[in-house]
Amino acid sequence: MDNLTRRRFLSLVGAAGGSSAVYKASMAMGLLADTGPMARLDIKSAGRGGKEVVILGAGLAGLTIAYELQRVGYNCTILEASHRVGGRSLTLRHGDVVDEMGYTQVCNFDDDPELFFNAGPARIPGHHRRVLHYCRELQVPLQVKANINRSAYVHESDHFGGKPVRLAEYVTDARGFLSELLYKAVDRNAFEQPLSEEDRVRLKELTQAFGDLDQDGLYKGSSRSGYKSGGFLGHGELKEPMEFGALLDSSFWRRGMAQSENFDWAEPLMEAVGGMDNIVKAFARQLKKPVVLKAQVQAVQLREDGVDVIYQHKGQRRKLAADYCFNSIPVHFMEGIPNNFSQDYRDALNAFERGNFFKIGLQMRERFWEREGIYGGITNTDQRINQIWYPSHGIHGSKGVVLGAYAFWNQSHFFERMTPEERIRYAADCGERIHPGYSDYIEAGVSVPWGRMNHMMGCGSRMTPENEERYFDRVRQPEGRHWMVGDQISYHSSWQEGALASAEYALNDFDQRARAAAAISSKG
Amino acid sequence: MKYPLASCLFGVLLAVFMGPSAGAAEESPVSPDDLVYCTVCHGMQLRGNRNIEAPRLSEMDAWYIEQQLVAFKNGWRGTHPQDLIGMEMRPMAAALNDTQIKAAAKFAQASRAPVPAATVDGDADAGRTHYSTCAACHGVDASGNEALGAPPLAGLNDWYLVRQLENFRDGVRGSHPDDLYGAQMRASAALLPDDQAIRDVVAYITSLQTN
Repeated sequence: MDNLTRRRFLSLVGAAGGSSAVYKASMAMGLLADTGPMARLDIKSAGRGGKEVVILGAGLAGLTIAYELQRVGYNCTILEASHRVGGRSLTLRHGDVVDEMGYTQVCNFDDDPELFFNAGPARIPGHHRRVLHYCRELQVPLQVKANINRSAYVHESDHFGGKPVRLAEYVTDARGFLSELLYKAVDRNAFEQPLSEEDRVRLKELTQAFGDLDQDGLYKGSSRSGYKSGGFLGHGELKEPMEFGALLDSSFWRRGMAQSENFDWAEPLMEAVGGMDNIVKAFARQLKKPVVLKAQVQAVQLREDGVDVIYQHKGQRRKLAADYCFNSIPVHFMEGIPNNFSQDYRDALNAFERGNFFKIGLQMRERFWEREGIYGGITNTDQRINQIWYPSHGIHGSKGVVLGAYAFWNQSHFFERMTPEERIRYAADCGERIHPGYSDYIEAGVSVPWGRMNHMMGCGSRMTPENEERYFDRVRQPEGRHWMVGDQISYHSSWQEGALASAEYALNDFDQRARAAAAISSKG
Repeated sequence: MKYPLASCLFGVLLAVFMGPSAGAAEESPVSPDDLVYCTVCHGMQLRGNRNIEAPRLSEMDAWYIEQQLVAFKNGWRGTHPQDLIGMEMRPMAAALNDTQIKAAAKFAQASRAPVPAATVDGDADAGRTHYSTCAACHGVDASGNEALGAPPLAGLNDWYLVRQLENFRDGVRGSHPDDLYGAQMRASAALLPDDQAIRDVVAYITSLQTN
């Protein structure tokens, strides 16, 4: 604390929460100018004779572009390589095929609309204004989804006796300990510049409020962790605080304690009622022309006044001559698809690295977690499954689907190298250490390694910060009449809002160019 | 033209764009439906895609593709704990039945795609000396020899050749007891003294296919 000046300290406190933190997070995400609801796009009409637009990929970006352009008179064809619409916005239900390379799984959940698993995006924060705009416009019902649940657990294999600890207890104690230290530091005046008496009083009050310290500035446990006993028909008896040393040795404060303060994960979050793919279905219902499924793009050829797309469909090679092309094919595939792109554009596309996520969904024959006082939210563990998510819907129903593993980025490889059966068994064993009897509740399970999914081979593609600096602007600019789109062409890859931000950008860019061209043409 | 400037705005660079074309697509067979999987990673006409570390397989000898698919399927290949890329491939091969394996091999041999560009920085002249050992089995022109179980090397991506030579050298490939040809190759790769020698010999092989 010796090197911490008062000014610096107070600014740090300011930054730890509240508007300053929000402001910085917004800046980082390029959202500053984006607050407030998204305005409806104003795209110039295609005019007489229409124009052909080909859209590669029926994920959220492609669907949005088709929806917006058909509205102003463009004839939009969506070519989709896989067997389904939606891209990574995938909700699995009874009988759905999981088209993983080498392991075709069929989702074996009960045939019940309440039993579904969002294997891709699953959460919508209130500042994802584009997703919310379309959900409002297309009337997709949303509900609040519990994300951080203080009654769920923190589990660490080698700490706290390997027993799960309630998140409330962990966070309350961590804050209590830190606050007590700070309180003492104020008393000892351990700052570079002396604090005024008034500041000292306030600072001590702040630490007391932050950590729930007693009147002497000591942390002796807090009702914020929940009571050991009592609280209703008798006095609530506080839990003993954990040992500060044990807490310091544990790793959750490093891995996940700030999860609820991550701007995209902060409460409250939302989800589409009945499954996130209801957003996809809402778009698909609006399409004038159905998506061409199982149509794999074989070549993209730019012309001076358009784009030719060669694709394979029903065992034949076909050609679609379009005026414009919006391409959401995973960028890493473009090197394997013949094209006549310029070298600088190809270099930019090849600068992406395949991202990776892995999820498991488990159908549980009883909602045992509710008997432990857990209603929705996430348990965190230091085991490779990382997390268990409890469903926010179907409370007190008979069964439920939990997320049994969520591996991020390269953590996914560990699961990818297993067979689907091995993955479920592995996740069951991990769950057992948190909820004894867990394995016996598992009736069905499905795993989705995005790095191995057919026509995907990745999720959340990104570039190194240096390459972003060098190439990001290039990849969002068109090449001829061809725009790359999708969450990949955003600073928010693997989020639906990233896909929509990219779609919005490409549509506005397209519109500006079309208007400029029309203006010149009418003068000429 | 309706939008004279549109063509400027949209296509000012198009004259420059007209680089490598999709020409090969027309001569190449349509991917059989159940082999579309192959093209997802290996690219259209199996032209290779380094972003996925999937090598070019177009025009490869069918016997060799078949042999390696069986190797993957039976676990002679793609099971070594350090062979992370092989492990990605393996489940795909394991899912194929004998008929599909034969069809995939035939499809690869019939596929046409441009010869891959050189990417490896090596000294082809220095590599020529090393290659004399390789030539005994793979042929002076690197066109392979089925009787010796030696595949053609011409037409493979140079980055893939480097990785496989490293894999053989490090025992990541060719150490499974059933992989007899692999064991032979492992011994041969050990003759290359260092990483530079690997790059050099690969540069030489690349020079054979581009000449």
